[in-house]
Amino acid sequence: MTVTEDASAAANAPAPATATSGHQAPAPAPGLAAILGSGDHKVIGRLWLVAAMVHLLLVGVVNALVAAERADTDSFEILGRDWIVQADTFRFIGVVFLVILPLTISIATAIVPLQVGASTVAFPRAASASAWTYLMGGGLLLGAYVIEGGPGGTDEDGVRLFVAAFVLVLLALTVAWICIMTTVMTLRAPGMGLARIPLFAWSALVAGGVWILTLPVLAGLSVLSYLDVRYEEALGGGPSAFYDHVSWAFGTPTVYALAIPVLGFVGSVLPVFARTRHHLHRIALGLIGAFAAFTIGSWTAPGFSAEAEGPAWLYEGLWVVVSIAAIVPVLGLVGLWALTARKGRVKLASPLIFGVAALLMLLAGLTAGALQAIEPIETLVDGEGSSLFGTSWSTGTFAYVALATIIALLGAIVYWSPKLLGAAFPEAGARLVALLALLGTVVASLPELVAGLLGEPAAATEVAADNQSTIETLNVVVAAGDGLLALAAVLFVMLLVKTATSDDDPGDDPWGGHTLEWATASPPPVGNFTEVPSVTSEAPLYDAHHRTEEASA
Amino acid sequence: MAAATASPLAVTTPPEPRRPRVLYFGAAFAAASSALVVISMLAVYLQRRAENLAGGETALPEDVVLPLTPGNMGALTLLMSAVTLAWAIYSLRNDDRPHAYMAIGLTLVFGAAFIVDTAYLYQQLLLSPTSDPMAGLLYAVTGAHLVMTVVAMLFVAVMGFQALGGQLTGRDAEGMSAAAIYWYVMIAAYGAVWYGVYITK
Repeated sequence: MTVTEDASAAANAPAPATATSGHQAPAPAPGLAAILGSGDHKVIGRLWLVAAMVHLLLVGVVNALVAAERADTDSFEILGRDWIVQADTFRFIGVVFLVILPLTISIATAIVPLQVGASTVAFPRAASASAWTYLMGGGLLLGAYVIEGGPGGTDEDGVRLFVAAFVLVLLALTVAWICIMTTVMTLRAPGMGLARIPLFAWSALVAGGVWILTLPVLAGLSVLSYLDVRYEEALGGGPSAFYDHVSWAFGTPTVYALAIPVLGFVGSVLPVFARTRHHLHRIALGLIGAFAAFTIGSWTAPGFSAEAEGPAWLYEGLWVVVSIAAIVPVLGLVGLWALTARKGRVKLASPLIFGVAALLMLLAGLTAGALQAIEPIETLVDGEGSSLFGTSWSTGTFAYVALATIIALLGAIVYWSPKLLGAAFPEAGARLVALLALLGTVVASLPELVAGLLGEPAAATEVAADNQSTIETLNVVVAAGDGLLALAAVLFVMLLVKTATSDDDPGDDPWGGHTLEWATASPPPVGNFTEVPSVTSEAPLYDAHHRTEEASA
Repeated sequence: MAAATASPLAVTTPPEPRRPRVLYFGAAFAAASSALVVISMLAVYLQRRAENLAGGETALPEDVVLPLTPGNMGALTLLMSAVTLAWAIYSLRNDDRPHAYMAIGLTLVFGAAFIVDTAYLYQQLLLSPTSDPMAGLLYAVTGAHLVMTVVAMLFVAVMGFQALGGQLTGRDAEGMSAAAIYWYVMIAAYGAVWYGVYITK
């Protein structure tokens, strides 16, 4: 299949071969063996998806419980004092390492090889091993929480199990990212240079780059924590030090790395539903890369710079620059997407609703992150105000960014469900989930920002010195928002199960997609393409559709 | 092109054109990740040491002397292994199998010698890992690098067996080159450990 960039060349190019022509679908796999022994990237992607969805429901419940607990900031009647610290840290560790990263890897493992025209993911056995390692590590991690071994837990064996399981999860995530990055770098279809990579595949590549710089550092620190617990504080930290070692991963700007695929997803769906080519594709690639670069700046955060040698103004200045600069590439992308939408005719289908909702929430999170770094903005408490960093403003920022990412990833599942699940996601249900998730995010995150402004500490165990009754009222609103989000998650999982068990044929290209994943069958056969696709533009299927339309005209 | 008809249990079905550099990139990413684990631990070691020294204490317990000779010998051994590994790749690319086998064998011997050298250093230290936070960190940093060395040796050994089987000869020496990337990054990580732990003490 060859598709060309300009109209004249396109007219002379041979028609693209349909992926299903002459293709013999493989026989259905026999039972459990199809999952246990498969190196097919779609099966591996689905494995990650199932685990991430189970974790999403679990994290949603814990999140709502912590929010409800904070409605009365000093009673701890729901979870109790023994559990509140663990539940509070689980909100962050669970969301990042058991939900968002696995969900991103799930979609990237299943879709990126298709997008770049590869027959498989690079190192399929390693990719499969990483999925199983994640399942094992994730299970042990939850088990450690159950026996009170999570951060703040009291069971020493449980703490050891927790840290070991966490290292296992980090190892699995690192290997998975290596497989995805290698796929994009080396298994692209002929003619697909770096400048023609689809935006989602590009975002997976740059996000993978950020994470393989970040996850090993977390692993190194976790190994030290393990030794600390195992050899009775031989390193001077002890069981309680673990969360201090890793909490920088949940702060700005590292947390922005979670949101890199949001940009790739919006950039992939917007041109499809605007029914036009992406405006200035190469600039978009550069802006996503620039955003990724700004996420590697956690060493400038106040938690680190307080202990660092060197002039304080340098670190404070860098912290402000990194926090504010991160929003610039996203604004640039918003501009490009506005131009793209203006050029085309926008159809507000469910994936685009998810994309727009995610983008709005990400912008809110980035704005909150930038305001947090600006020193004159302080908490509104009687007496002397203090920095917003370390208050609920920080957790509100995290919530905006994390929930924006989850919304985008749910949208990605809806958009690519024909390839991922072999059936189309119910459109009405998807729209309802998108709107519920958008509403839930605003209701759950905005009051956290306000509570932070009123001086509520970020840690659920600490009580605000001032404005307590107002903060408790705001926390009730947060709990209501978390309830909405939990409802959206349950509804989404129900629709997902319905879609996965549906026999409906979604068609090879139900959306009129622009990139190569839509040039093969739904679901794609083992090996993905019956012939090696060749491309000469960043939107090969868009060119092919136009050529067909011109020919029929 | 042949239709995809193989079992779903297969890794991939359609025969695809030769995809160069997959192992290069995979090995480079894996090497970077492994090195970062060692470097992050080293950073904690250096920070704690600086705190100790700033507080008027010694870096390690007072009666412990960190010998320089095994550290230097380790660096020299790994540098020699870099030369022999480059020799192995050169020989493989030129279909000079006897020299390739010899060079791969020597590289593995140097790797083993480095492990023995580090074990000798541990013996000379007479320091229990649990006796002092810095002792624990010292063993954690050097131990993490030893793990990386063992992984690099396994990678070279596997590729060496493939070469013995005739799969990695002539222009198709990618596997050994990928192993070499991991090996060289392992040596670079040791360079950081050597300077941070043994030289600056």
